[in-house]
Amino acid sequence: MKRVKYKKFIFLCIFILILNVLLAGCAFKDIDKRSFVVGIGIDPAENDNGKYKVTLKIALPIGSIKQATGPSYAYLSHESNKISEAIRNMETRSDKVLEFGHTKFIAISKDLVGKEFQGFMDYFIRRGDVQLVTWVAATSPSAEDILKVQPKTEAPSSIALFNTFDGNGTDSPYIITTHLFELRRDYWNNGIEPVLPLITTNEKQTELITNKSLVIKKDENPLQLNTPETLYYNTLVHHAKGYSYKILGEDLELFLNIQKVKVNYKIHVNSSKAPSITFKVKVVGTVLESSKELDTAKLDDYNKIASKDMKKVTEKLLLKVQKENMDPFGFGLRYRATRLNQKNTFSDWEKVYPTIKFDVHFDVDLQSIGAIK
Amino acid sequence: MNRFIYYLILVNMFANIVSTAPKVLLRHTTDGAIPAMVLGLIAGLLYTQVFIKFFNHFPGQNLPELLKSYTPKWYYYPTLSFFIIMWYLAGTLTLVTFTFMLATFLTPEMAIITMIIPYLMIISYGILMKSKNLLYATEVIFLLFLPIPFLTFSKAYFSSHLNWDVVKVAMMHSNTLPNFSSFTASFFTFAGISNLVIFNQYFTKKMKFGLKQVLIVGSISFIALFTTYFMPIGFSGFEHISSLLYPWISTTDSVRMKFGLIERLVFIFLLYFVVIAILSMTIHWHVSARLIQSIFHSNKLKVKNIDLIPFIIIIIFSSIAIFFSLTMTEYNLYKFASVVYNIMPLFFSLFLITMWLIMRGAKHEKS
Repeated sequence: MKRVKYKKFIFLCIFILILNVLLAGCAFKDIDKRSFVVGIGIDPAENDNGKYKVTLKIALPIGSIKQATGPSYAYLSHESNKISEAIRNMETRSDKVLEFGHTKFIAISKDLVGKEFQGFMDYFIRRGDVQLVTWVAATSPSAEDILKVQPKTEAPSSIALFNTFDGNGTDSPYIITTHLFELRRDYWNNGIEPVLPLITTNEKQTELITNKSLVIKKDENPLQLNTPETLYYNTLVHHAKGYSYKILGEDLELFLNIQKVKVNYKIHVNSSKAPSITFKVKVVGTVLESSKELDTAKLDDYNKIASKDMKKVTEKLLLKVQKENMDPFGFGLRYRATRLNQKNTFSDWEKVYPTIKFDVHFDVDLQSIGAIK
Repeated sequence: MNRFIYYLILVNMFANIVSTAPKVLLRHTTDGAIPAMVLGLIAGLLYTQVFIKFFNHFPGQNLPELLKSYTPKWYYYPTLSFFIIMWYLAGTLTLVTFTFMLATFLTPEMAIITMIIPYLMIISYGILMKSKNLLYATEVIFLLFLPIPFLTFSKAYFSSHLNWDVVKVAMMHSNTLPNFSSFTASFFTFAGISNLVIFNQYFTKKMKFGLKQVLIVGSISFIALFTTYFMPIGFSGFEHISSLLYPWISTTDSVRMKFGLIERLVFIFLLYFVVIAILSMTIHWHVSARLIQSIFHSNKLKVKNIDLIPFIIIIIFSSIAIFFSLTMTEYNLYKFASVVYNIMPLFFSLFLITMWLIMRGAKHEKS
């Protein structure tokens, strides 16, 4: 009896040893045989070699973080008709395997956004190893320039482009984050248009500036939202909050810090009344800066001034996108989501949307004027 | 109701909601997936009820024993062979699906054969195990890994990037006639109870499947079906959703764990999927092997008192599975899955006939 157990034990040991052969880690390729692509940039081709110019930003390994003065990157570019063709070509110029599992940033030149999208967007999703939570941004000037910007604040072992978007670093309400899956979803879905952040840089190319955005529609030129419009879009749709909401009253200028935003809207499309959207926003915040001395007893007045001004800016933004027949707020989606699907639900909406009236109500609730009057 | 029965149902359900079922369901977003899911849920609960009621009459006996004692030979050989093939195909379907999935997402550079052999080794061990031990193993593994789907589902539901309007748009498409393949796909998620044909020999007490149990199983499966259908839509959109070949992998890849040890939730979820798929495959192949053993047993195939039949079964099973996974394309796999799903109603009706025959036989014997 004991002998049998002993034999079994030996057999088990041998079996486990054999299993070890199957453990190879990293699918047979070590980490030092891979180079990690952190960003991909796509520009229109400069020469006649193809349609696109693809740029890869590759993170170089550093021996020790203490000794490094800053992050070091290598860049590869190639022009081709297809993204995969360009990447295959770049592989022949690198001694290591290009690894896309850590790619978290796709920069697309402003000139390519909207028109040529389908040509390359599918590629990233088809690959499977590119994350769907990759951030996508439009760039101006070219994507290559933006990828090559190395801000002074960029520390070794951190990537400024990632910090901008991941919500752990800067937390500005001007920064819109759009993931690859969101871009795809909103691009194909009827009734909503995706919005991409637009990254620019200063003349010396030492800073990344992210405070504008682009609304994208299939086969059309994108619509650019300027800085305050981007702020309001981000607040109303993504409930972004923070400093720097500028309010202009008749003889008063206020800067607000918004802590809470609640947006509620309803679409009224009845045969009796003209179609309209009631847009109700509730904002809670504090005063950060003022052009005049303030009085705590007059908070209600400030509320009214703020509501009026915010209403004005919002209405302007809504009318601007409506005029271009774009729908970054997803009104069409809400319309489809609130009635049983018929054959012509969406085409009905497309007819209604250009003429729909906006009825905006702002309810600003300021809770304090800060530490001084 | 015995807790092991819940495990049998749930393992199969969880394995299905991430593999092929959502693919089939999401192909029919505009032509009847939602009513089909509702019907599938009702039919599935009914199926479970009938199964448990039947086996309540014969506690501690498995189906081959019952067939042998109450039905004629010309009936039980073909029936059992059909069941063997069904169980084998169900296991193989999961195996091939998940090998393909891993080849796309986890190890794109690895050869399929090197990937599949370790899994086959583990499953083979499961076939050799005693049925009772397999039940215990199921419990341990299922409970150990339960936190992962909880994490995944809650992360997905509370993600700020999930668009509920898209989900509602999908709901607004429920005013259609049910679609047959969607119905069978959602019905198939309940097939786990069928494993009682072998495991019933360990359930010697009467099982209760009253209102409480119906509510438990019903609500879990409702949440499972709801999640499997609407979460991919909320993340990947309503239009063009059918062009995603692995909707659930894409969904979990769309969830970012900001402060997690691993930022990409998809890898944690893949781990869970590997585990639950292996479990489900092992159970299916184990049942299939036991059914074969109930037909073939010979003293000639014994060396030193060790029965060689299970080993022969393992070799045959594995070689067919390897052949399938090497030669199949994604499209074939999808067709294969639809065929397996669409046989389900036939399988179920055959089961009803079998049950009726056995009941009649048992009554005759008594009187």
